[in-house]
Amino acid sequence: MRRKKRIMQITLSIVVVLLLIINLFPFYYMIVQSLLPWDMVDKTIAPSGFSLRSYAYLMGTGGTSNPWMWIRALVNSLAVSLPTAVISVAVGLFTGYSMTKLKQFKGQKFVMNSLLFQMFFPAIILLVPKFMITKSLANNYAGMILPLAISIWGIFMYINYFRTLPDAVFEAAKIDGAGSLRIIWNIALPTTKSVTTIVFLSIFMQRWSELMWDMLISPDIRMQTLNVLITTQFKPMGNYPGPMYAASVILTLPIIVLFLCFSKYFKEGISFMLK
Amino acid sequence: MRKDKSVKKKPFRGDSFTGWLLSTPYLLFTVVFFVIPLIWAFWLSVMDWNLMSPDRVFVGLDNFISLLSDRKVQAAFWNSWRYLVPIVILCFISGLIIALLVSKMPEKIKGLSAVLFFIPYLTSGVATAVFIRFIFSYNSVLNVFLRNKLDIDIAWFQNPKSAFAVMVVLVVWKMSGYYALFILSAIEGISEEINEAAALDGTTGFQRLIHITLPMIVPTLTTVIVLATGLSFGIYTEPFLLTGGGPNLATTTWQLEIYYSAFTQFRSGYSAAMAIVNAIQIFITLRVINYLMNRLNHRFGW
Repeated sequence: MRRKKRIMQITLSIVVVLLLIINLFPFYYMIVQSLLPWDMVDKTIAPSGFSLRSYAYLMGTGGTSNPWMWIRALVNSLAVSLPTAVISVAVGLFTGYSMTKLKQFKGQKFVMNSLLFQMFFPAIILLVPKFMITKSLANNYAGMILPLAISIWGIFMYINYFRTLPDAVFEAAKIDGAGSLRIIWNIALPTTKSVTTIVFLSIFMQRWSELMWDMLISPDIRMQTLNVLITTQFKPMGNYPGPMYAASVILTLPIIVLFLCFSKYFKEGISFMLK
Repeated sequence: MRKDKSVKKKPFRGDSFTGWLLSTPYLLFTVVFFVIPLIWAFWLSVMDWNLMSPDRVFVGLDNFISLLSDRKVQAAFWNSWRYLVPIVILCFISGLIIALLVSKMPEKIKGLSAVLFFIPYLTSGVATAVFIRFIFSYNSVLNVFLRNKLDIDIAWFQNPKSAFAVMVVLVVWKMSGYYALFILSAIEGISEEINEAAALDGTTGFQRLIHITLPMIVPTLTTVIVLATGLSFGIYTEPFLLTGGGPNLATTTWQLEIYYSAFTQFRSGYSAAMAIVNAIQIFITLRVINYLMNRLNHRFGW
């Protein structure tokens, strides 16, 4: 019986490893190709040569028309994704707190209904009018950040989380005369670490990978995010797979590393996503 | 909690003021980027306007009527269900398999393997498209191998079937590990005792899976199916980069057609009408799926 169990365990582990290899093969392939000499790219799956030429190409000034185009795109991606994630978290915290811990807030029902109402509408329906409203902010960080800054999903994550926290703590703080902002900063934020991590990272990741809106609102190549720049260079760079692989690695790796660093908060947070 | 009324009232006195204050950022964003655009979208849908010209013509329901006979719209409409079925089924099955396998791993490597399966979810569709485009190009290591060793010669994106299959596989690959996390967390929530008691009664692992594990995680499986349904309506990046919706509209989606008609053909009223029809289709589909899943939940006593 014990022996049988052991064999079972080993078989299962082998299956898992095989599945993982298939699952992660694209990443392996991308990284290997980005580090091959240009005449080898897409000709082999083994790391049979080494060259940093693809990365050097991206780091280079890249001609006179668009100097530092790739580096600039990476900076743009960060400059858009970070504030978006911060705003989402802040709005989520504020709204979540006022929906759950302010018992006599007269407008609670109104705001809650508005949140529920909003969930019914797919974002695509708003695309054209949103673009009309934001048009004057084209090629501007504000135009990229603000229209996608709040996340209904993020707000509900906080609402679900705050519901599990005992009211007594918040009431005690209130009786002691703490203001709401102080309560949020000193009590809510530290206890919501796992939710804040998940919301922050998920929004950051989604914003980092956003394509349609960024393409519309920043046609200027100097304002494009890395995601959009790879897209616009997709055809013209068709004969230079090396740098495209390198750019994809730069696009992907930071997010993976970020998530791996914070993966311990995930297990806790996942249960709030289900509600 | 029973307290003297005067004591109870005090800490809540400013609640309404604070509440409105704290909700202001949300409400502001909502008015500017939801309420106004929503009204505008409905207004646009009965207009003929190219986004720039000063003359906007009221056309009533003409946009909606022209939608009916538009081949691209028809393709987008049917494709969203064509995408839905394989994507929901495959995401469900592979998510479940991954979760079951990971749950059987030793405690020490359980977390790590779950996270490794989850990594594709973090990848931008753009990076995936780069990989797919080059690995499916004519002289890539994959196609050379298929041609020389297996005598298979596929032009992946010229054939409607293979192009569509690639899109489905990409989405399923990306999402499975994410859904597996939900299912895994539900499986972990089942108490050990039930399984142990059943094992003592001489049940096989497979029986326990069918009669204990699956019925206990039905609500989570429902969530996964609803999430995957929503997801399959939002496919955009992969077909945009790889096929442009072709060949012969086989891989096109609502998102793609709405984008093209609004921003390459500048028919903003028409595309707003399209988006509304799309929203109605999503709404009805989700309703039906919810109804079916509720009945299933009911059968399992949830």
